[in-house]
Amino acid sequence: MAMAKGQPLHFELDADDLKLFSEEAAEQLELLDSALVQLEGEPEPDLLQQIFRAAHTLKGSSATIGHKRMASLTHSMETVLDQVRQGKKSPTSEMVDALLAGLDALRVLTDEVRTRVESGVDIAPLIADLDAVLSVSDAPAAAALAPAAGELLLPGEIAAALAVAIEQGKSPFLVEVAIAAACQLPSIRCYQLLQELDALAEVGFTRPDRATIESGGAEFELIAVVASTENDEQLTAAISSISDVETARIRHLQGELPGPIALSSPAAAAAPAASKGPRLALVEDESPSSPAAAAAAAAPARKTTQSVRIDVERLDGLMNLVGELVIDRTRLQQIREQLSSVLKDANLNELTENFEETTSHLARVTDELQDQIMRSRMLPVRSVLTRLPRLVRDVAAKCGKKVELITAGEETELDRSVIEEISDPLVHILRNAVDHGIESPEERRAAGKPETGIVSVTAWNQETYIYLSVKDDGKGIDTKALRRKAVERGLVSAEAAEAASDEAALQYIFIPGLSTAKAISDVSGRGVGMDIVRTNIERLNGQVRIKSTYGQGSEVTIQLPLTLATTKALMVTANDTVYALPLVSVTEALTESEADMHLVGGRRTLRLREKLLPVIDLANALGDRRPRQLNRERFVVAARHSDRQVAFLVDRLLGEQDVVVKSLGDLIGNRKGLTGATILGDGSLGLIIDSASLVAEQAPAAASA
Amino acid sequence: MATKTAEPGSDTETHSSNEEHVVIFRLGKEYYALDIQAVQEIVRMQAITAIPGTDSWVEGITNLRGRVVPVIDLRKRCNVDLSEYTPETRIVVVSSATGMVGLIVDAVTEVMRIPSDQVEVPGSVVNVSENTYLRAIAKLDDRLVSLMDLGGVLPSESALTGLGDEQAEVAAA
Repeated sequence: MAMAKGQPLHFELDADDLKLFSEEAAEQLELLDSALVQLEGEPEPDLLQQIFRAAHTLKGSSATIGHKRMASLTHSMETVLDQVRQGKKSPTSEMVDALLAGLDALRVLTDEVRTRVESGVDIAPLIADLDAVLSVSDAPAAAALAPAAGELLLPGEIAAALAVAIEQGKSPFLVEVAIAAACQLPSIRCYQLLQELDALAEVGFTRPDRATIESGGAEFELIAVVASTENDEQLTAAISSISDVETARIRHLQGELPGPIALSSPAAAAAPAASKGPRLALVEDESPSSPAAAAAAAAPARKTTQSVRIDVERLDGLMNLVGELVIDRTRLQQIREQLSSVLKDANLNELTENFEETTSHLARVTDELQDQIMRSRMLPVRSVLTRLPRLVRDVAAKCGKKVELITAGEETELDRSVIEEISDPLVHILRNAVDHGIESPEERRAAGKPETGIVSVTAWNQETYIYLSVKDDGKGIDTKALRRKAVERGLVSAEAAEAASDEAALQYIFIPGLSTAKAISDVSGRGVGMDIVRTNIERLNGQVRIKSTYGQGSEVTIQLPLTLATTKALMVTANDTVYALPLVSVTEALTESEADMHLVGGRRTLRLREKLLPVIDLANALGDRRPRQLNRERFVVAARHSDRQVAFLVDRLLGEQDVVVKSLGDLIGNRKGLTGATILGDGSLGLIIDSASLVAEQAPAAASA
Repeated sequence: MATKTAEPGSDTETHSSNEEHVVIFRLGKEYYALDIQAVQEIVRMQAITAIPGTDSWVEGITNLRGRVVPVIDLRKRCNVDLSEYTPETRIVVVSSATGMVGLIVDAVTEVMRIPSDQVEVPGSVVNVSENTYLRAIAKLDDRLVSLMDLGGVLPSESALTGLGDEQAEVAAA
């Protein structure tokens, strides 16, 4: 009954539900993505519980909207995970592969809900793989064939009766109740419990058995397997309402029937399960007898941080308003300065003082508000980093490497606009590190290194920037080979390559066209796209740096502003237009007379320490053809992007300022050398310079060496 | 805006089908009009920042209460003789397919309803293919008013900025 690809699908949800479903699914998928990879080795019970919950939640939500294929697949994954959770299976790499394959399919299936078009994913082989993983018997599984102490194997007829009830839509639960030791008449309480259960559920099995309870022979323990339409929360609440109930554990049984059911209460086990390995946490924490607490305990704990989902558009709106405030603040400060100079002589000291106090208070509040709103748009970089273990695992497997990934600084926060942009470059750099940086296990052994290479991804904040570094302990970059290649491809002259320091030669890796391989393999062709990585990062007013020691490893560091909404800039004028030069690229500003300028081949050149920088008239470079007067002394601003440097000739320097970046609008579109406009203190507009593209255009690449 | 609520005594529903509700403005010695629905607001001349490298009739961008709005000199667009800005000069802010756009005009004269029987298609008087923005001509008692088509006034981005196809795609994305 495989459905044809492209066929329209119908789901039971409206637009709001769709949003909720997508967000929840994305969250769970992300969690699975990072957690499944960790399954291999020694999984923590907590991790298993998390993974299981995520699969369970996905199953529930997909079943609710009627996505049958997704529900079946998650069910199979959940079954496998449940076996692991119960210690009946140990995770193998085949199992993780099958689960990861399932996860990939789940992404596509989740997308179907949005597109409402059948994607053509065939879940049958995936389910078969998952089933196959289960049928492989390993030691714990063999042991489980005979009910061990602490386990319950239901008699055939009761199991069958339960199966029928489950068919009818009821859910099976394991109920374990302990009566308080102080209770005078435990048998009565057990009888009450049985009656309560009878009212809510179909009681399939009890220990002690029904006859014993009804004849008053029960003691302080009651175990029951029931099928009910209620959920575990309601059952817990009902049971907890009975006096003298000390603990009530209700567990939804999944995939365990008709197999043995693991019991949790040690007293219930006739003999303690000492011979077995440690049992994993199977039930919710012991619930105290108050119904509220019981309900709280029964509801899966999903309260990591208190948060509210806010529409990004709303935040953008707030950010714009704050941007307005910032501008008003600047403007008020200007007025204050004018006022105090005008009123200095008049006897209005008190008035101007008051005014100054108010404006500076407004300035503080505005800054604070801007900061807070900016922070509300921030997300931990974790969401990017969680995808990486999977990526490293895949890439390492493909090229036969052994790689351990270490991540740090997951809590580092950055603006969501930056998060969206940072992922691709980071993935690219990481692929390179695994594919080209880390050596094969044999090579590593020969070099006296451990077989498993280490790649670490670290994120941190410093001032108003976020840094992300990808470091490997691989073979490093051979600058000799790099020089040779750059010369062979005609990108650098032989003399320049010869003269370049190792550090300068390392920068060749960013020259477009150094690698001609166009991503032939799945992984990456050698050095493919470092130039593209750099272009993308620079577009965001960021920088990329590379360090490498041949034989010992490399480190690539990305530096990005915390937010893309505001930029620190040096304000300048050129031909009566105000421009903002992003501060990240500005290295120096000099007056024309103190600058050491020379004419070289008809081009003005600035000699700045040991470097020669082409001098570019900013207005001309941008295509400003309006008539202009040049009589006063001008200024030279040196700007740098990676290894390329130029000096911009401008009319005046106006100082530093935080500028709020605004688009030029669709009608004007993208202009060469400009990234947008910003509102100035006097309410007029200034233009923000795209210094990366101007520098790249004006400075011949790698010629600075 | 209160334009949606019908005023008592005036049946706007019936009127709208056989009359044009327009803003009339002056460019040099000519009168032009735009549908009032397209006009967001009319502001006095204010500071405009030129964008280097754009066509001459793109005057630049201006700050409209915190929004960056591109401004076009409609007099250059319509090949009308240029004069200095006067206290009467206005920016007519319209909403178009490419967002808000300001149009510089010499003066805004009035807002009026023109009955359909006073409106004529322009083909008999001017070459339509050269005046893509000319939709119709209204014959008022004392003068003629050219009714403009906003889509024709604001050409596609690539024509406006001389961008290559590649960049135009980026801008559209």
